[in-house]
Amino acid sequence: MIEPVTFLLPAFLVAVCLVGIHVYFGIEVLTREVIFVDLALAQIAALGATVAFMLGHPPQGPATYGYSLGFTLAAAVLLAFTRGWATRVPQEALIGVIYVVAAAAAILLIDRAPQGAEHLKQILTGNILTSGWNEIAVVVPLYAAVGLLHWLLRRQLARSGILWEFVFYASFGVVVTSSVAIAGVLLVFSFLIVPAAIGVMFASSLPRQLVIGWVTGTVTSAAGLAVSFAFDLPTGAAMVCAFGLALAVAGLLYPFLHGNRNNALRVAIATVRWCAAVLLAGAALQLAVAPRADQPLLDTLETAFPSLRALYFNRSEAVTWAEAGETAERYRIEAERLNDLEMRNRSQGEALDDFSIGRMSSFLKSYGEMRKGEQFVMGEVRARARERIRWGASLTLLVLALLCAPLAWSRLRTGLPRRR
Amino acid sequence: MALLPGLVAACISLASPGLSQDRIQVVTTTTDLRSLTEAVGGDRVAAVSLAPANMDAEDYQPRPQDVLRLKNARLMVRVGLDYDLWADRLLAQAGKPEISRGGPGYVDASFAIAVLELRGMSVGPGDGHAHGSGNPHYWLDPKNAEIVTGSILEALARIDPENALRYEANRRAFLERLRARLAEWESKLAPLRAMPMVAFHNRWPYFARRFRLDFIGFIETKPGVPPGPAHLAGIVRTMQVRGARIVVREPQEPQRDVAFVARSAGASVVTLAASVGALPNTDDYIALFDANVAALTLAAGVQ
Repeated sequence: MIEPVTFLLPAFLVAVCLVGIHVYFGIEVLTREVIFVDLALAQIAALGATVAFMLGHPPQGPATYGYSLGFTLAAAVLLAFTRGWATRVPQEALIGVIYVVAAAAAILLIDRAPQGAEHLKQILTGNILTSGWNEIAVVVPLYAAVGLLHWLLRRQLARSGILWEFVFYASFGVVVTSSVAIAGVLLVFSFLIVPAAIGVMFASSLPRQLVIGWVTGTVTSAAGLAVSFAFDLPTGAAMVCAFGLALAVAGLLYPFLHGNRNNALRVAIATVRWCAAVLLAGAALQLAVAPRADQPLLDTLETAFPSLRALYFNRSEAVTWAEAGETAERYRIEAERLNDLEMRNRSQGEALDDFSIGRMSSFLKSYGEMRKGEQFVMGEVRARARERIRWGASLTLLVLALLCAPLAWSRLRTGLPRRR
Repeated sequence: MALLPGLVAACISLASPGLSQDRIQVVTTTTDLRSLTEAVGGDRVAAVSLAPANMDAEDYQPRPQDVLRLKNARLMVRVGLDYDLWADRLLAQAGKPEISRGGPGYVDASFAIAVLELRGMSVGPGDGHAHGSGNPHYWLDPKNAEIVTGSILEALARIDPENALRYEANRRAFLERLRARLAEWESKLAPLRAMPMVAFHNRWPYFARRFRLDFIGFIETKPGVPPGPAHLAGIVRTMQVRGARIVVREPQEPQRDVAFVARSAGASVVTLAASVGALPNTDDYIALFDANVAALTLAAGVQ
């Protein structure tokens, strides 16, 4: 299993670099309550790049970077001032307005030059998987410089004042502009907020918050990358979901680590039981009211354990179901065989003429239709079987729901005679 | 002598500005169909493409003026095969039965095309394109231009019968030119036969079939969804095993992902235009293939 490691290593190292700087900024952003400032700054930087593009500069050139930086610095000035205004209107509202207006302005500009749309998309949706040593060579010195600056100015930055606010937003803007191009808006937001939130949750001093954030951020990134490789999922999206899961786990662990453990356990068990009861009761209601509609719970269970169908299909239904399934699969295989044949013929052997190709595509069309027909039969058989058993099955599900619900059965039983 | 009628016509059209307004207003969904419509209609038509050349026509978002363009048009030519579904909404808004489905001025250019990669809506997740009605990039086979121009000719003759013979002559002249060029393109690309290649998006099956090229994989399997790492690693491995040295990319496709695959597999990137006008020097249908054939032969190192 050496190959996945060598394939994912550059992306992992990039993630570690991004986590390193973003956890620090995340903690700052959480204390300043400007959660979405990274989105606004990234969008402003993209607007700057779009303007440069419109003026005829190449997308990756220094001029484009200059325009991005200029726009980001201007936004930093604006953000530094809005800190002072934010007495009656929260600063977050102004950040939102900056984001929306920058996005809309970019759309207006792009309307003039359509190829700019792809360009703008590329600025805002990086792909961490295809990043590598080139990116690391750029971000390591940049982030080290920003980190050093913040460490040297840590006293001044803690104080308020328009100049120090500007320094904060400007350096943050420089960081976000580079990281969004590498990892995309969604993943950068996760890097920024999730590990920092976990750190703030479990520690109160900055060094401990940083360490917790770095460790959870690195571990979560590694887990997200591994899952994305194992199941061949889009890497950025898989990592964002991994970060969401990490925050959920941290939230669940919090009451166990801080506070009354027994109480936390009791609440957790009651919550799980209530969830199960609501799920079962919902499934019972759905089956009773609309037996032909989708049954999310039953469908999931049936997909996981196909033998469940034997519980409620009668003999002829089971036979029809199995036959239709086999026929549908046969049509699929036949269609794939034809497609394969055509594909190989493009470059191998004697070329097929248009007439043969036309015949093939009419066969393919028929196979598709016939397969859909078989699938309709399968759906109909199942819907009828479910209609037949709907009352009994709903009642069973309802009883199960009542059993799962953490109701005080014992009190109910002792309460009855007293009332009599 | 043969030039004389043309010259006279040119003088008349220059002298009387009214004539240019007489031209039949045609709306096409893509630049490729605009070029083919101009090849048949000649100076009798004024064709305009709704989707610009340098973006994916599939993702085009109609503008308010597009409805106006359709309202003024007498002929509407579209790609069909679920490629330009946005045109349906525009046609409904324009509310002109003559250029809507079934009207005399409506051309679905996919009519009578031998469609490739037809997978019923539900036939497996499959590789490549999410099109239930087959791969829609049929204009990339120059032979299909014969069928498409045939459909356009039929519609033009229907709405402007006086000039039917002129359209027919235009089409015949264009096809003659195209056939001569096709033979040349085929001989130029002959050394690339069965040379394994990878493309970013599955846009080239018709092109591959005509010129006998072998696309062994695609970087993006589902439009708009970034490829997963196992898929990318698999592509790179296949390229190394099969010795693929070319990755085909279009100008609007992400540079970095393509460069990453090419770098990992030791291949070079060649940028091709899938539509007229997407690259410089691809201003009409024939120039499109000229440019693509030149770029491919250059990348493959054959002259």
